[in-house]
Amino acid sequence: MFNSAVRGKLIDGDKSYSQISKEILAPIHAKTPLWWYAAMLVSLGMFGFGLYCKYITISTGIGTWGVNNSVAWGWAIINFVWWIGIGHAGTAFSIFLLILRQKWRTAINRAAEAMTVVAVFCASLFPLLHMGRPWLFFFIFPYPNTRGPLWVNFNSPLFWDFVAISAYLLISASFWYFGMVPDFATIRDTAKSKIKKAVYGFFAFGWTGSSREWLRFEGLSFVLGGIAAVLVVSVHSIVSTDFAVSVQAGWHTTIFPPYFVIGAIFSGFAMVLTLVITMRGLYNMNDFITDRHVDAVCRILIFISLIMGTAYMTEIFIAWYSASEYETYMFFKNRLFGDYAFQFWAMFTANAVIPQLFWFKAVRKRMWIVFIISIIINIGMWFERFNIVVTTLSRDYLPAAWANYSPTYVEIGFFVGTLGMFLAGVLLFFRYIPMIAISELKSVAKFDKPNNGQLKAKSHE
Amino acid sequence: MSKKYILGVFDDEATLVDAFEKLKDKGVMPVEVYTPYPVHEILEGMPIKTRITHAAFFYGLFAALGILGFLTYAAVIDWPLRYGGKPFNAFPSFIVVTIVATILAITLLTLFTFSARAKVFPGKKAEIFHERATDDKFVMVFDEEGIANESESLKAILTEHGKIE
Repeated sequence: MFNSAVRGKLIDGDKSYSQISKEILAPIHAKTPLWWYAAMLVSLGMFGFGLYCKYITISTGIGTWGVNNSVAWGWAIINFVWWIGIGHAGTAFSIFLLILRQKWRTAINRAAEAMTVVAVFCASLFPLLHMGRPWLFFFIFPYPNTRGPLWVNFNSPLFWDFVAISAYLLISASFWYFGMVPDFATIRDTAKSKIKKAVYGFFAFGWTGSSREWLRFEGLSFVLGGIAAVLVVSVHSIVSTDFAVSVQAGWHTTIFPPYFVIGAIFSGFAMVLTLVITMRGLYNMNDFITDRHVDAVCRILIFISLIMGTAYMTEIFIAWYSASEYETYMFFKNRLFGDYAFQFWAMFTANAVIPQLFWFKAVRKRMWIVFIISIIINIGMWFERFNIVVTTLSRDYLPAAWANYSPTYVEIGFFVGTLGMFLAGVLLFFRYIPMIAISELKSVAKFDKPNNGQLKAKSHE
Repeated sequence: MSKKYILGVFDDEATLVDAFEKLKDKGVMPVEVYTPYPVHEILEGMPIKTRITHAAFFYGLFAALGILGFLTYAAVIDWPLRYGGKPFNAFPSFIVVTIVATILAITLLTLFTFSARAKVFPGKKAEIFHERATDDKFVMVFDEEGIANESESLKAILTEHGKIE
């Protein structure tokens, strides 16, 4: 299926199988570089500040945040949706490219899935603390209780969201882990030190690569891949119903589920780019994550950026076309030219305009420009969530309830803390886990060889 | 009980598959094949099959029924409450939770099934025939007793591209 005449080679440098394992595992077997400790220190510092802010939030209360009666959802929900969006790309990347039989995914999917797990974990902290009394969070589990038993409201999108996020965290973590089992076995069998052999041997679960294991492994990937595709689409649709099922102007629209899913994949793919370009730079993975891989992701981003632009325009058009006084006010007075006009135009420029630069090959092949644009997209997607959450809440139906919102240092620190946690997670991933799925990469290595690496001419897949 | 094994070690997929198919024509089957990545010709050629996908389907079926049943029981029978003018059995809004929780159930149960059936679980000690089978070698394992009459032709086919260890 992979046509090297169209796409070029999947792996540069005509590597043997043992070279593939060796080069990908090099960072694990090498001595920890100094910059790694420095970066870890910075991220742990950020994480520590985040912990302090969480302590203030829990010990004093939500009053330490900038949220008020009207704008009850501030940075917490903005950051929650932002992280979940980023967390979406990992699974989306693996699943959709698996369904579309894109073999170049093999070099990137491990990093994308690692990003998913850490990002979803960061995201889940926000609703937890936003509850105000997080020690009672177990009230949202539908369990037989002494309050009746009074069950939770199964009609509420907030409950759907809880189910979706916990399912997503568990599923993406196990999907990621089981993909790594064969690679842990490779580390176990190539490692020199006894400790490494024992530790990775434990995590490899006794994997040997026998046909009995591979056959069931393939069955498992098939099942997980198929149902995770449904999950990816449903989880962020459910997040969007947190907004769309309400009756607020600017939220109560049917465009929300697809708009959120696409937006999530957009920010996630941008974060994947940020991550793999960093990996290339720091660990010299250019032969595996080639310029063509980055190029392919950039092309996808152009396409998604166009969808984002269309979605923004559709919202504005429908606000006028619906002839609803409140909708028209929300978009034409409030979002476009109101107190938060900066956030709107920042979102529009960063998501719909700047990614259009990827049309130019000169931009796509300059890694530092791609890197900067990928960061701009992530900032733009943050502004999108700000725009959705704050503009609508700050201008209610009742002018007496109008209020503006700005965060306090506690909310900012909380967010910085999750950034630190994400960075620390990524650094641990760089150091201790094979960054690229070795066994999957080996399975596509043959497509770079003449005749698909077969002795007899035979069609494959 | 130490059995004697013959290992055929190959450097790439193509020669492994070639030798595997030649041996299969002769009626000689390896006890097990160890590869760094799944090789579909081997997986199809070996006399093994997996029903993990069928199991997953039934897990999904029962999970979906069970979860929908629980939601209906809790919201309609056990403690009916009127939410926003909806009927007690607000079926459409139960679908969301049913789908997501079903996916979760399928994933976890299929994982446990995989773990049990493929015998890949925490704390298991790997039985390694060849150190490099997870790195860059493709290894076929033969039971020496089972192939007594064919051992000459077996060795000829194995050494054509690979080597015997």
